[in-house]
Amino acid sequence: MKTLLPALLIAASAPALAGDHAYGPFPANYVSECGSCHVAFPPQLLTAPDWQAMMNVLDKHYGVDASIEAKPRAALADFLQRNASRRDKHASTVQTPRLTQTAWFRKEHGNLPAKATRTLPAAAQCESCHTAAERGDYNESGLKLPAGFRHKER
Amino acid sequence: MKALITALFVLAAGSAHALNAADYQVGLAAAAKAAEPGFAGFSAQRGETFYRSTHGGDWSCATCHTDNPLASGTHTVTKKTVKPLAPSANPARFTDVDKIEKWFKRNCNDVLKRACTPREQGDFIAYLLTVK
Ligand code: HEC
Ligand code: HEC
Ligand code: HEC
Repeated sequence: MKTLLPALLIAASAPALAGDHAYGPFPANYVSECGSCHVAFPPQLLTAPDWQAMMNVLDKHYGVDASIEAKPRAALADFLQRNASRRDKHASTVQTPRLTQTAWFRKEHGNLPAKATRTLPAAAQCESCHTAAERGDYNESGLKLPAGFRHKER
Repeated sequence: MKALITALFVLAAGSAHALNAADYQVGLAAAAKAAEPGFAGFSAQRGETFYRSTHGGDWSCATCHTDNPLASGTHTVTKKTVKPLAPSANPARFTDVDKIEKWFKRNCNDVLKRACTPREQGDFIAYLLTVK
């Protein structure tokens, strides 16, 4: 028991080990504040400077006003900073930070359209392919691809 | 202004029951009266016109909340489902002051490029309360 407990704690606090694509479940405040207009994106798939740049201009958030009062906003910013990626491949390659525009995302997904087309969902509509995205679970077992989607098409 | 509305609603809601849309309107009515001396009550008809108008921009309230506030809508950019706005279809609506104020601020900015006035907010709620 004594050795089992620390092992369990480590497993619980580090959900995104290599090869494991369960990034959630996320705290309730993150899901309610950042999951109301779109699925709550995994903080682990964008870098700390990207998250900070995004949190600084929530009133001008990709074409909509997503402003949040200072106090709850600070708690969310802190959560994002603590869980952000430290790897270059997760840095946004466009000025307005997008986790769908990182070297990692494009390698994994090919060029998904930024806007939904007749046959394909927009890249940011994670839940249309990753059926457990709501819980932050992006493991392959939850994948359900739209008809006509060819993996990594360019 | 915001403090006033909040204070009034607290009085109106008392401690007997949780906040509902009608309680929230009490605070809005006082604020509307203070802003417009000729204010003579909210109008569901004006509220419906407001709900469907694009106010000179691209979006109306109906763009995401659909033509029918009893139905689930779709966020026009992200395609995420938005639960019905009318309290008769979704009792969780207008039960949390912080949530109400947060979304009026955001969505009025998106649609009208400015804050909605207390009268516009009260008319809007009056309309939502008539759809059943
Ligand atoms: C009021 C609605 C709304 C809220 C609230 C909101 N967002 Fe967004 N978000 C959007 C829209 C609209 C887009 C643009 C989606 C698109 O272009 O397809 C977006 C895009 C994003 C993107 C870029 C996705 C991409 O394309 O890679 C990120 C990251 C993001 N949001 C994070 C957040 C975080 C974190 C929060 C909470 C602090 C939040 N959002 C709250 C509406 C919202
Ligand atoms: C059009 C469908 C589609 C959309 C939309 C989509 N993905 Fe994916 N995703 C895939 C496919 C296909 C793979 C590759 C699975 C593989 O290689 O085994 C993948 C892989 C992944 C992986 C790695 C999982 C693994 O097992 O290797 C993660 C993490 C991921 N996606 C996150 C996201 C996020 C976050 C979003 C939204 C911002 C998103 N995806 C949007 C289809 C999609
Ligand atoms: C771009 C999409 C969009 C538009 C346009 C829009 N809304 Fe919303 N609205 C949302 C979303 C998303 C939510 C929150 C999600 C939820 O609670 O289901 C919301 C929630 C609300 C709420 C919160 C009610 C509560 O107590 O839960 C109010 C009030 C509201 N909207 C008013 C308006 C008004 C007034 C307009 C028109 C001036 C409008 N909305 C236009 C997307 C939109």
